[in-house]
Amino acid sequence: MKIAVFLPELIRHLFKKTATVDYPFKKLEVPKDFRGTPFLYPELCIACRACERDCPAEAIEITSVNEAEKKFQMVIHNDRCIHCAQCVDSCPTAPKAMGMDSLFEIADFDRHNLKKDWVFVRAVIKPKAAAPKPDASPEAAPKA
Amino acid sequence: MKFQIPIGPQHPALKEPISLRMTVEGEVIRDADIRLGYNHRGLEKLAEDKTWIQNIYLTERICGICSHSHATCYVQGVEKLMEIVPPKRGLYIRYLVSELERIHSHLLWLGVAGHEAGFDSFFMYTWRDREIVMDLLELISGNRVHYAINTLGGVRRDIDEGQKAKILEGIITLRKRSEYYFHIGANEPSFVARLAGVGLLTKEQAVSLCAVGPMARASGITRDVRKEDPYAVYDEMDFEVGTAESCDVLGRVVVRVKELLESYKLCEQILHKLPAGDIVVKAPRKAKPNEAVSRYEAPRGENIHYIKSNGSDKPERLKVRAPTLANYPATVEMLKNGFIADIPLIFAAIDPCICCAERTVSLVNIRSGEETVVRLSDLRRQAIERHKNAPPKRNAVWPF
Amino acid sequence: MAVLRTILYLVVYPGLLFLFIYSTFCEWFDRKVYARLQNRMGPTHTGRFGLLQPIADFVKLLAKEDVVPEAADKRLFSLLPIFGLAVVSTAGLLLPVWNFDLAAPGPTSFSGDIIVLLYLLSLPTLILFLAAWASTNIFSTIGGSRVLTMLFGYEVPLFLSVLSPAILANSWRLAEIAAFYQKKPLLILPNLLGFLVAVIAVQAKLERTPFDIPHAETEIVGGTFTEYSGKKLALFRLMMDIEMVVSAGLLAAVFLGGFPGGALIGFVSFVIKTLFVIFLLALLRAMTSRIRIDQVVTFAWKYLAPLAVLQLLIVILLKGILP
Repeated sequence: MKIAVFLPELIRHLFKKTATVDYPFKKLEVPKDFRGTPFLYPELCIACRACERDCPAEAIEITSVNEAEKKFQMVIHNDRCIHCAQCVDSCPTAPKAMGMDSLFEIADFDRHNLKKDWVFVRAVIKPKAAAPKPDASPEAAPKA
Repeated sequence: MKFQIPIGPQHPALKEPISLRMTVEGEVIRDADIRLGYNHRGLEKLAEDKTWIQNIYLTERICGICSHSHATCYVQGVEKLMEIVPPKRGLYIRYLVSELERIHSHLLWLGVAGHEAGFDSFFMYTWRDREIVMDLLELISGNRVHYAINTLGGVRRDIDEGQKAKILEGIITLRKRSEYYFHIGANEPSFVARLAGVGLLTKEQAVSLCAVGPMARASGITRDVRKEDPYAVYDEMDFEVGTAESCDVLGRVVVRVKELLESYKLCEQILHKLPAGDIVVKAPRKAKPNEAVSRYEAPRGENIHYIKSNGSDKPERLKVRAPTLANYPATVEMLKNGFIADIPLIFAAIDPCICCAERTVSLVNIRSGEETVVRLSDLRRQAIERHKNAPPKRNAVWPF
Repeated sequence: MAVLRTILYLVVYPGLLFLFIYSTFCEWFDRKVYARLQNRMGPTHTGRFGLLQPIADFVKLLAKEDVVPEAADKRLFSLLPIFGLAVVSTAGLLLPVWNFDLAAPGPTSFSGDIIVLLYLLSLPTLILFLAAWASTNIFSTIGGSRVLTMLFGYEVPLFLSVLSPAILANSWRLAEIAAFYQKKPLLILPNLLGFLVAVIAVQAKLERTPFDIPHAETEIVGGTFTEYSGKKLALFRLMMDIEMVVSAGLLAAVFLGGFPGGALIGFVSFVIKTLFVIFLLALLRAMTSRIRIDQVVTFAWKYLAPLAVLQLLIVILLKGILP
């Protein structure tokens, strides 16, 4: 039991740099695989609806805009999203059509501004393709 | 002259709503009455509406501090039901995150104990060092809380060499700081005067009231699921269970700091022994009809999940028994004959995670004022009678 | 003319306006030191370096809704903050900064003014107890009883330790005590034990950690201040701040040799010495945790009071030895 056992450590802290950061004037760095908000590469999507089925928050909505032209619309409701990245894991294409970026300061006063949508034509799967190109059809990946 | 003091549901000492009504005489407590249910979210019913994969994220959000323990306990049970065994590397990574979560939870608790005692400098220092663990977890999993690193059949992300080196470096810093906090906690006279002799729970009382976790271990009972019923990687690791003999809040501080030091040892062992290989096996969509019980040593004690499947892709029943729920009867016993000034410390010493423990509801009859605790089967029967057997609504309409 | 001068004296300097500005500056200093000791930043944004933060807090509280509980004694409830502010501001007038001239003393420097100052500083405790009692809330009642229990602990050591240097200086007048120690600065050293006891006792009077039991946030919500809000709470907080400045001034005048050098240099030395005492108080606040009420009384009577008596014995011995 010592009196003032904490004292030297306290005095030493008077001369150290503070541990807190003056946010929002100084921003913080996030690491490489940080789970921010989800987004779509429309030219790669085959509209298999695996992400829509697996999303725990029902945040992805895929509707058919035009049956004949195979046009689909995907809406990602970022206000319902829980940023778990299960959609990225469930996506069967290679390279993946769903991606996750590093944005975390997405707050807004109106929740409808947080919804993003894409209208795209479903990508065609060729059975044996040579190598995956980002703007061409993906390799044969079975629809889940 | 006795009067009743309400601690909660809103109180600065509590982080979550719970109602403790104390009957006090002067400054001495004579009786305590715990009422739960302010944070009830209907999670067990929600779990029946979501698929096996979606339930991982639901169980993770039962609590923020022990999120990984609920998710892992659930995933362990479902893997038993689906009869799949994850690869070794996946298991090692999963339990590395478990130990890191235990470290973060105990550092959080040390800070909260300091704040409840009025020792704010200690609180600031331990939470500053907790940032190191949170940054490591963000590096591995992509988020500081709700790591979501589990999936059915393994884990979702791998660890590379750079991350491994950073984790080992962080553990060295943390070990030095934890030993310093141990030294402070045991030697600062005003802090020890608050903690020593407060909240006594003898060994017989702890056994008869079913205390779990550090509460039981501070009363001298060596009870740890990792040692008694070793799951996955713990039978290959070398660690000890920390106990204390003093049966009071100071003993619980000592037990948690000992567990911190053991966790550092475990993390280093896991990282050095990490085998090469796959991190996940593919899991089926449906599970055969069966039931499974899964136990896990959360930072607060023993966590039990009971899962029943009926052959479809959604569970039939999920039951969660969080460790804090098991510690409540012991809390009532500890509060008797204590001082008012000790209430926040005694309550904080059980490391309450109140939202984990919201599994029971007590119904109060407004007209007569009597309270009853009702079973789920009775509630179900009453609900079916009321709505006359109409089928439950699935795919509810979103309001926005 | 004399009336105008007196009014300016009471309202501007060294009266209400000066005490308001200086006490908010001292609160800023206390918060910044406390934050830096805990490795964080403290007030940063309001004004340069956060200097306007305590004034901003005061203005914000003035703008909030003022709720008076129904069962409370309304007149007592509303008048007590004003009484408290009046008492500590009057105590502030007695400090020997602006009436230092021994030959032509002002009306606030007279023989026995150290006793008046100590009496005025113990009135806020009674006011806090009455405020707690008038609130008729169970948390306030417990807070009020704790305030009075603490009074039994720290009042005797404080009085004994503050009066010891006065006994050595052979006078009950603050300006003369300060002048005595300015002439013989070495005699400050035997009073250091009393200084230590007085700092701990003042920490208890100001209800800061380790003695912030009466308004312990995590136990009894707000203690005496639970039912106060809006303007009344703003005045109570201002009262606590001015009490801190006046106690620091008292300790600096009696133990640290007063404020020599005339009007301007004396004022600068006042600022430096009070900031030094407040630095010690902030250090004590960061270093310890809150103790229980029964432990306060035990600690005060087992350790503080005997040390104060020891200091008194040392002073009496010295008086016998010195010419």
